[in-house]
Amino acid sequence: MTARHTVTRRRMVKGLVGASALTAAPAFLRHASAAAPIKIGIPTVITGGYALLGSQVIRTCKLVKKMTDAKGGVLGQPVEFFYQDTQGDPATCVRKCQELVERDNCRILSGVIVSSEAAAMLPKLEEWNAIFISHGNGDGRLTAELLVPRFFRANTSAPMGARALALYLKDAPEKKFIAMASDAAWGRSSNAAFEEQIKKVGKDLVDKMYAPVANKDYSPYITRILQSGAQGCYVALQGDEARAFYSQATQYGLAQRVQFFTEIVAQADIKVLGKDAIGLMGSSRYPLTYDIPQNNAFREAFMSEYKNEIPDWSDGEMYQALMILFAAIEKAGSPEPTKIAAAMEDLDVTSVKGPVLMRKCDHQGENQGFVVKVARNEKYAEPVAEIVKIYPREMNTPDCRSSSFSK
Amino acid sequence: MSLGFILAQCLGALSQAAVLFFIACGLTLIFGIMRIINFAHGAIFMLGAYVGFTIVAVTGSFLLSLLLAPIVVGGLGMAFERVFLRHLYGRRDGGAYLLLTFGLAVVLSEVIRVIWGAQPRASGIPDFLRGIVVIVEQPFPLYRLFLIAAGLAAALAVWQFLERTRAGLLIRAVSQNAEMVHALGTDVALVRTAVFGLGCAMAALGGVLAAPLVTAFLGMGTTVVIDAFVIVIIGGMGSFLGSLIGSVLVGFVQVLGAYYFQDLALAFMYFLMLIVLVIRPGGLLGRED
Repeated sequence: MTARHTVTRRRMVKGLVGASALTAAPAFLRHASAAAPIKIGIPTVITGGYALLGSQVIRTCKLVKKMTDAKGGVLGQPVEFFYQDTQGDPATCVRKCQELVERDNCRILSGVIVSSEAAAMLPKLEEWNAIFISHGNGDGRLTAELLVPRFFRANTSAPMGARALALYLKDAPEKKFIAMASDAAWGRSSNAAFEEQIKKVGKDLVDKMYAPVANKDYSPYITRILQSGAQGCYVALQGDEARAFYSQATQYGLAQRVQFFTEIVAQADIKVLGKDAIGLMGSSRYPLTYDIPQNNAFREAFMSEYKNEIPDWSDGEMYQALMILFAAIEKAGSPEPTKIAAAMEDLDVTSVKGPVLMRKCDHQGENQGFVVKVARNEKYAEPVAEIVKIYPREMNTPDCRSSSFSK
Repeated sequence: MSLGFILAQCLGALSQAAVLFFIACGLTLIFGIMRIINFAHGAIFMLGAYVGFTIVAVTGSFLLSLLLAPIVVGGLGMAFERVFLRHLYGRRDGGAYLLLTFGLAVVLSEVIRVIWGAQPRASGIPDFLRGIVVIVEQPFPLYRLFLIAAGLAAALAVWQFLERTRAGLLIRAVSQNAEMVHALGTDVALVRTAVFGLGCAMAALGGVLAAPLVTAFLGMGTTVVIDAFVIVIIGGMGSFLGSLIGSVLVGFVQVLGAYYFQDLALAFMYFLMLIVLVIRPGGLLGRED
């Protein structure tokens, strides 16, 4: 007797449910994987002297998360930021990065404020299986002698800031200059680049000075500037140091005798200095008024999110770094660090600062050079930096793996 | 080197000394009476700057901020002394004071961040103190001359208070032998509270005066308090006159060091401290115990 295998209706339904469950399983798993967030570690300064810059980094990350998630994320995955306070201290920065990597499984790092913190992190990236994309670290050596394969600099470096100014000053009426910088890696790098550049354009650098980090009294430096007979003063100070210097220089009436050219024009400084900032010239890391669709969209989104706030250079650079990162993730088709690193090389993106090329040879983003002057603008409640001159990115970026410009 | 240049350098050093004196004087007064090294003094200096900024923003008067900010901050200091420090006087070890005042510094910094935000604040200089004075062809800010005058006036006032008033006599007596003064019927606890408040008020006044030079920002007290500790060590822990002399010395060393020996500008202040400690371990006018 042969057994008869009848297909009853009940068996048919069971079979269909089972088959569809098997078929659907990979899709379900794929969906779960797609919903997993892309984790980005932000080791930044939350307390201490650079807390203002850290607060700008964090507010921009929050805005970017909101904007990106609203568009459906990156590769369909939401982004998630993890913040840690480095206090501006290299050793603390390394420890906090370790926590971000090991505890929160963040393999993408950004938002580091101080160049010496960044330099301390670089040797650990391989061990952490992480990549680090700089949004604001200026020390020229990071993409030269200190470069590691997992480090990328999306931002304008100190030599690039000095370069734009030197190119501008070539045709300026001032002949004699004096340079003033913070005695930190970034300040040293800036002064060295300015010295090289200004001599190259045939101008005279009569003196250069370094003030200790977190210096408060600038009267001896101001006296020295007055004594030097310089017509222009290059200033590589930022944050609290810059505000103290400009406040005291104004009290000495120095701006009436010497034209300042600052390495970074910061909106936070303009806000505090008010009308005393008008006329200040310098290089801009992020040109607020740059009229291109990408920047207009960012500026409007920012000012809509943060009422009465104007994006500062740190906001603009952080936004650019994240846009470049997301473009690399999409190009790689994966948020895996080594794949992002490969995709990042020679990535060409148009960002809030215009076209940026993440060149392969040293991972330095080729950024345009912006020279700006602080002026009143009826669109804003406080004075802002207006663009005076833009230099092409090829002209504004140093030689490969170098802080110097051979051209 | 012209006479005007030398004068400008000296005046710059004196204006820096004036700001340092306000914070060092408070620090040494508190140590002299209470034998407490107040780690929160830098944060109190910063609080003074922020409170001063708010008073200027509300009233529009810088002079009023010079009066009210020390009263507000001094009052808060007295409350802190009564609520927290008083319970620790019986303890022989100084570690508890260090931890408590360090904790106060952290709490104050965070409170300031929450109330005023991370954005720095500028109170500006009133119109009557704006401008420069030309001294032998060298421009010098009027505001810095005001700082020198304010420092001198405060030093004279505190000195007169300590030397010529009954309250000052009691303070000096408590600093030398608190138990004896207590046995004679004086409320030593009240003297301690008042001195802690006075020290905080002095630091706050320094903060208000320093704000137009450096703006009010988170961390503004960090480096200043280190300078103040150096001054107090140079002048002698607990010595009012020592803090005055120490402030002037450190002011000159900082200004001249920054002008002539940039790379060693920071180190000079510590060299000075080391030299003084080698020659007089208790500081210039301090006791060697």
